[in-house]
Amino acid sequence: MKNTKHLMIGAGFIVAVAQPVAGHHSFAAEFDANKPVTLKGSVTRIEWANPHIWVYLDVTDDQGNVQPWQCEGGPPNTLTRNGWTKDSLKPGDQVSIDGVLAKDGSKTCNARAVKLPDGRSVFAGSSGGDTPPPVKR
Amino acid sequence: MKNRFVASLLAVLALLTMTPVFRMIAADQQEFRPPSGPAPRTASGKVDFSGVWQKPYVPDMTKDGKDQKGMSELPFTPWGDAEWKKYDAAEGDYTGACLPFGMTRSVNTPEPMQIMQSDTHFAFLFEQNSWFTVVPIDGRQHGNGIPTWFGDSVGHWEGDTLVIDTVNFNGKTRLDTIGHPHSDQLHLVQRFSRPDRGHIAYEVIVDDPRTFTRPWKNTRNFTLRPDWQIMEYSCEENNKSLWEGRIKVPKYVK
Repeated sequence: MKNTKHLMIGAGFIVAVAQPVAGHHSFAAEFDANKPVTLKGSVTRIEWANPHIWVYLDVTDDQGNVQPWQCEGGPPNTLTRNGWTKDSLKPGDQVSIDGVLAKDGSKTCNARAVKLPDGRSVFAGSSGGDTPPPVKR
Repeated sequence: MKNRFVASLLAVLALLTMTPVFRMIAADQQEFRPPSGPAPRTASGKVDFSGVWQKPYVPDMTKDGKDQKGMSELPFTPWGDAEWKKYDAAEGDYTGACLPFGMTRSVNTPEPMQIMQSDTHFAFLFEQNSWFTVVPIDGRQHGNGIPTWFGDSVGHWEGDTLVIDTVNFNGKTRLDTIGHPHSDQLHLVQRFSRPDRGHIAYEVIVDDPRTFTRPWKNTRNFTLRPDWQIMEYSCEENNKSLWEGRIKVPKYVK
């Protein structure tokens, strides 16, 4: 059963890469593509609502302090069509998130990839369908 | 020994291909095939565009992509060029504030749209933010209403092509996500034809003498998705980025 579940999630990933996961707003308005970040921590909450899902996680910093972070994902409608559900990630899951930081310096990221310890990815794609930000001519 | 290993591996792979999950993966990897056959027609003999349509995501109308042919060099006027160069979404992003996307950006989104059509009206039901806009196609002319985000649209038939003509935009929108500008003089022409049941051939012609020295266009293909339904999309529900101050509401000069 467990293996089947893993394969199901794998199937969802394949569908997910087939379709863009785009956001309702300009990526460059909120995030800085030149500030990549990798966050490792424990999921505390998922918000599965338009216009974007949000994943909340506790990250332990170098000094051993637990810091709360929040990362934006794609729109739930698109994620649902791509085979994901709110339960594809649960509180307590250990994740590694590759993303980029918000411009305002808060503990906020745009998630490009959310990976579980066994290498599986969930909610593939970022909300920034227009990334990288434009180079003005 | 090596042969036995290879044989075992092949047997495992063969078994795997019989599992429902594998078949699901294989099916998902194949491109979706819409229904085939001729374009359907309404009782009065017009091409019927009704259905849920998958559209290519076009965040930048100068770029080509799958099912999208862009316009690589936009013919800016000096005003248009200045508007483009000074645009910074970080200083105000109307879509991030959940204000209406307007016609071009609503069609540009990857979220599907449903078309509903009668002899007198053509309705765009955009999944993006659950917006809609209704176009009379009964031969009437443009009205004299106040300028709006989606503009004032009327449609007419040129043979089997439905031509939707829109003016009276409020000038507060952008043409695409990346922020290409237009003015309130925008005159938009959208041409819909249906070469077969499963596809719409779409052209959008941007005619805005304040912003561009001549009209230019994008051409796209839409795919019929009978397996999809339009879903509710409440932009305001969880727009944390706005209320936590990371996205600004643009200040429009009156």
